[in-house]
Amino acid sequence: MLSNKRWMVVLVAAALTQGCATVNRGAIPVVDSGAPVSEEVAARQAYRSSGTPVSQQGVQPGSGDAGVMVMVPQQNSAPLQTFPAPDATFSGSVDPAPGASEPWTPPAPAPQAPVQGQPMPSGIPSGGGLSADERLDGPVLALLTTAQQQQGGGDLNGAASSLERAQRIAPREPQVLYRLAEVRLAQGDAVQAEQLARRGLSYAGDRPALQASLWELIAQARERQGNAAGAAQARERARVSL
Amino acid sequence: MTKARSPRSRSRRRSGGFRPWLGWAVKLFLVALVILAGVAIYLDAVVQEKFSGKRWTIPATVFARPLELFVGQKLDKDDFLTELDALGYRRERAVDGPGVVSVAGNTIEMHTRGFHFYEGIEESQRIRVRFSGDFVASLTRGNNVELPVARLEPLVIGGLYPAHNEDRILIKLEQAPPYLLETLVAVEDREFFDHFGVSPKSIARAAWVNLSAGGVRQGGSTLTQQLVKNFYLTNERSLSRKATEAMMAILLELHYDKREILEAYLNEVFLGQDGRRAIHGFGLASQYFFGRPLVELQVQHVALLVGMVKGPTYYNPRRNPERALERRNLILDMLVEQQVIDSETAAAAKQKPLGVTPRGSLADSSYPAFLDLVKRQLREEYRDEDLTEEGLRIFTSFDPILQAKAEKAMTETLKRLGKAAEGVEGAMLVTNPETGELQAMLGGRQPGFAGFNRALDASRPIGSLIKPAIYLAALEKPSQYTLTSLLEDEPFSVKGADGQVWRPQNYGRNAHGAVYLYQALANSYNLSTARLGLDLGVPHVLKTLERLGASPQWPAYPSMLLGAGGLRLIEVADMYQTLANGGFNTPLRGIRSVVAADGEPLSRYPFKIQQRFDAGAIYLTQYAMQRAMLEGTGRSVYNQLPRSLALAGKTGTTNDSRDSWFAGFSQDLLAVVWLGRDDNGKTSLTGATGALQVWADFMRRADPLPLQMPMPDNVVMAWIDAQTGQGTAENCPGAVQMPYIRGSEPAAGPGCGIQAPAESVMDWVRGWLR
Repeated sequence: MLSNKRWMVVLVAAALTQGCATVNRGAIPVVDSGAPVSEEVAARQAYRSSGTPVSQQGVQPGSGDAGVMVMVPQQNSAPLQTFPAPDATFSGSVDPAPGASEPWTPPAPAPQAPVQGQPMPSGIPSGGGLSADERLDGPVLALLTTAQQQQGGGDLNGAASSLERAQRIAPREPQVLYRLAEVRLAQGDAVQAEQLARRGLSYAGDRPALQASLWELIAQARERQGNAAGAAQARERARVSL
Repeated sequence: MTKARSPRSRSRRRSGGFRPWLGWAVKLFLVALVILAGVAIYLDAVVQEKFSGKRWTIPATVFARPLELFVGQKLDKDDFLTELDALGYRRERAVDGPGVVSVAGNTIEMHTRGFHFYEGIEESQRIRVRFSGDFVASLTRGNNVELPVARLEPLVIGGLYPAHNEDRILIKLEQAPPYLLETLVAVEDREFFDHFGVSPKSIARAAWVNLSAGGVRQGGSTLTQQLVKNFYLTNERSLSRKATEAMMAILLELHYDKREILEAYLNEVFLGQDGRRAIHGFGLASQYFFGRPLVELQVQHVALLVGMVKGPTYYNPRRNPERALERRNLILDMLVEQQVIDSETAAAAKQKPLGVTPRGSLADSSYPAFLDLVKRQLREEYRDEDLTEEGLRIFTSFDPILQAKAEKAMTETLKRLGKAAEGVEGAMLVTNPETGELQAMLGGRQPGFAGFNRALDASRPIGSLIKPAIYLAALEKPSQYTLTSLLEDEPFSVKGADGQVWRPQNYGRNAHGAVYLYQALANSYNLSTARLGLDLGVPHVLKTLERLGASPQWPAYPSMLLGAGGLRLIEVADMYQTLANGGFNTPLRGIRSVVAADGEPLSRYPFKIQQRFDAGAIYLTQYAMQRAMLEGTGRSVYNQLPRSLALAGKTGTTNDSRDSWFAGFSQDLLAVVWLGRDDNGKTSLTGATGALQVWADFMRRADPLPLQMPMPDNVVMAWIDAQTGQGTAENCPGAVQMPYIRGSEPAAGPGCGIQAPAESVMDWVRGWLR
């Protein structure tokens, strides 16, 4: 079963890399061609048709969202023009540079599925209070349960430590990152709570219920950071995910 | 001798009969008595003060990561057994207690020892692990009930000692294995449980033995006296010290019972020297010589350790195995003589080897580079005294199995490179890209050698290792750059801000014309990269480097674009960590937590992340770095590894091959390797022929999981014509798939109206099949 899993990963990886055959450099005509002319238009259309909430398009610098760029302000750089995926949100930035805003981009489900996956038979009773998530392995579920008990007993450090243990076992399990974000929030570290939840989102592509929980947690973390607008955006995302 | 002479002197005094002298003598005697009483009161205070307080200072102990066991875990069975050997697990046919393992084919049954971790206690339990290939296929308790997860106790990888220090593992009397107390008493002090601190009987016997042998053969010291000597006094050999020792021994016995004195003795006794570290007490000696806890020792081990009390250096079982064996067997005979064991037990024990952990095994290795990092990090938060005296327990992410593989990869590869590697030094770092934890570190090419820690302290020009930062900066602007944007790889010169003319050159000194952006990175072309960097702006590139995790404070000269600036290995690792981890930066960590001697949690170093880049831009950069491995400067990696193993990485070579670099990652392992000379001299090693070879050898041994970054939602795969870079359809000749940030992909082509020449189709087929 496990080698199967691994083979899937290998196959997907191989398909990804081999799908793009080696380009014969010599065959490239020497023409002055930058990006295709239609690119920007297409991009804008993609953006407009993305269904991104209107409020997000008008995110202004200084809207109070502690975006990812805060620590390293970009100066003298051209406005960043990444293209948000249909269900991505903008987190505005306190950074005055407009280029500092960064879209958060949840991943597509396909490549992730083989990595985390098949539920393992386990003798563990489902942990009290854990949301019914269909994907948890025996060891991860056991450690989440332990962490839950520690958190319930007020031992937040112990809970965080158990969750990090779970994370080492299953680094791509979004439920673990979600729980870790929860504990960080309870410990008063709203910034880390938001970051961990974002990381969780990048692995929760095909789990809408968990996505909604992660967005809700981001909303709470942003509220704690005094970012009401960002929190509202995240709540919106939580609703869309469900 | 003294006893023999005294009656005569007394009789002489009596026969003399000097009455006035007698008065003086009485007075003198009284004065002496008063002085003696004073001394006794003083010594009593000394004895009690030191014995009632904290008796010993204990250096902090540093632990490796505990090995986790769970179904689905990727773990090589041999690696698992290596770790069990290092932990001193005894291989037996049947598992009859903690510290015993029994191997039957792919099934390993064992009894773990249990351990107190930061977040709680791991119980000692009997477990059964079944392997299938490189994976754990099942994990059950002894009673066949499935077990979700278990972890072994962590290996001790070192301690934090002051320059000269005693080290010990404190034990309680109850932790003494069978026969230890009996053997100790039988060999060192047979009257221990009967005497009051000194033993006239022993002294008499020692005197008789020494007299008949014509020299000092046997000491009459009791265990109490030995303890007093080691615990309170210097090693000086004089009568007054002997007297003080005797007096203190009696005082000690007055205040404390035999068991307490015996326990102190077990912890105090000197049993060996390990470099500058003195091995004290049976607890540490057991770990040091046999690699297992004291309680698990068997009678032959006990006999060896007790035998060593007489001369720890002389009977050192590693240095003088024959002598040690002879002594051990002598002790076993004594035990039969004293009816501690029967002769069959002794005969069986004598058949056993010494059982000390072999040199160079995991249990007998030192990791100075990693411990150096641990020390530095701890010194930021703890005082030196706390680290060397309080018995702290430091839990780290260090992985001894990966370290052993890294060491092997370095030494074996340099050996293979032969003359080219003569006088070349090396350094290496291994981390887990998903957690940011440091797992292995080499500070030099010679494993276990403490010295200049090149992984932390050598700052060397990084050459082309900087290039992913430039391409990432470009790919962050999808309206301007995609993986198939054409770059011009032609000679040019530019006047830098410092007024100097800069004329970059390709490694092969030739230009490549127009190339795709990803090709320029994969093949590490300097001309196109330098031009791209200048277009982006040097300060912008340096900013990107900073966001990746390295903040070198380089001046914004154009030459920085080709890696003229120096970075330390650990900074390079952090930079590549961000590339490997979807654009989330994680400060690298080596320490997980610190726990006080009594088990109280002190501090924790939590997992922290910060998103620094759009996942899409990182995805594209990783893609180009994967192409570097498949067909670019890193392609020789697949001489050692299967092509199905997706890897991403970058070579780096500086002028005249003064530095040979490679940094790259799989899904679960990131490694950075540097080779070069300490005096910055020339070598004949490029990044590909030097550092990459070490890296590939390491990856081959470590057998990592293939890289698989989940595709972000703003990335699409588009079909393009490999020749033109224009959009095309899947069924067209020459169509290849390429990832783009959504909206930046070329417009879909007109279909396949025009057939490409057959030859280029064949080229494509060949390329695809590679």
